[in-house]
Amino acid sequence: MAGVDVGGGGKGGKKALDSEINMVPFIDLLMVTIAFLLITAVWSHMSRINANAQVPGPPRPDEEITQVEPEPSLHVEMRDQNNFKLIWKTGSTVVIEKSVPRKAEETRDATGKVTGSKYPELANEVEEQWKATGKHRDASDRKFDQAVLHTDNDTKFSDIVAVIDAIYKTHRPFNSGKPGDLVPAFNVTFAVN
Amino acid sequence: MAIHQPGRRLLHGITLKFVSDHVSGGGKRNINAGLSLTSMIDFLIVVVVFLLMTFNSSGETPLAKNVRLPKAENSVDMVDAPLVGVVGGQILVDGATTGNTREIEESKQVKRIEELFNVLKAKRELWKQTRPGKEFPGVVVLQIDRDVPAVVVKSVFQTSAFAGYPNVSFMVDGAPKTKG
Repeated sequence: MAGVDVGGGGKGGKKALDSEINMVPFIDLLMVTIAFLLITAVWSHMSRINANAQVPGPPRPDEEITQVEPEPSLHVEMRDQNNFKLIWKTGSTVVIEKSVPRKAEETRDATGKVTGSKYPELANEVEEQWKATGKHRDASDRKFDQAVLHTDNDTKFSDIVAVIDAIYKTHRPFNSGKPGDLVPAFNVTFAVN
Repeated sequence: MAIHQPGRRLLHGITLKFVSDHVSGGGKRNINAGLSLTSMIDFLIVVVVFLLMTFNSSGETPLAKNVRLPKAENSVDMVDAPLVGVVGGQILVDGATTGNTREIEESKQVKRIEELFNVLKAKRELWKQTRPGKEFPGVVVLQIDRDVPAVVVKSVFQTSAFAGYPNVSFMVDGAPKTKG
């Protein structure tokens, strides 16, 4: 039987300090472990992106209503087929408005099939504008700037996700306990109207 | 530690000569190849270590058949929440059919989906009954095919929010982050 000698035997009638490892059950154990791990392995990596809804909650009579100063929020409009509109609004007042060409970069899988699109130009412009206009940039700030996505009813879901992904590309430092932790600079809301 | 002379370890303990000759080739070229145990065990251990490192005990998120998810780079890990699927004109909540999208697609208007609303509301009530005193997280994950039009996405999104799930997440196929 196969075995691995891990040392000399005992001398002078003493019990041997070293023993042999039996290879057959050892290899069996490795094989069974590999089979188990292969069966339970998850090869597809599913994840999620947040797109919160702004809907009024139920009335809270126990909480005191405080007047909150409106903050600038970024509205991303993707109704036009050729351009995105980036509009910073404070309440209903337009602060800045800029158009960005709607140039999609196609993403492909290993077989060359188109799986979606990316908007790197939009991501760069959002980052530039956030650096200039964003209010919550400090690592100790627990609040985030708000981005609202507006789209028409015919846009494909993959395009909506591509734009949300471009908005989330802008990152900022955040004191979460881990040094050098970066989080998305915006909270994205998906406008239904 | 004793050092042994390298050599064959398998098939050398066969006492019957004709059997030994037969299995070792009988002077001809040996039909049984020797297997180096050291290399094999090294290989097996490397495979075990790799699989253990990629092992995830949280399990696989069920993916509806024929759904093709969009890819996104800036995504976060999945959470345990009700899963609303939209695929092939059907709306599924945790795998159970809860209506269809035909009416919305035909009218091209954002509508509240009553069946979905009732199922999600019932799930919310059940969650509150089973966890009294805890704050309801209001998280729902939408598993939507990448070719579904925005009017359907908006309808499902709005219905989920009105049913008490304002923290909506879209399920995506996580892609590695590109530089720049």
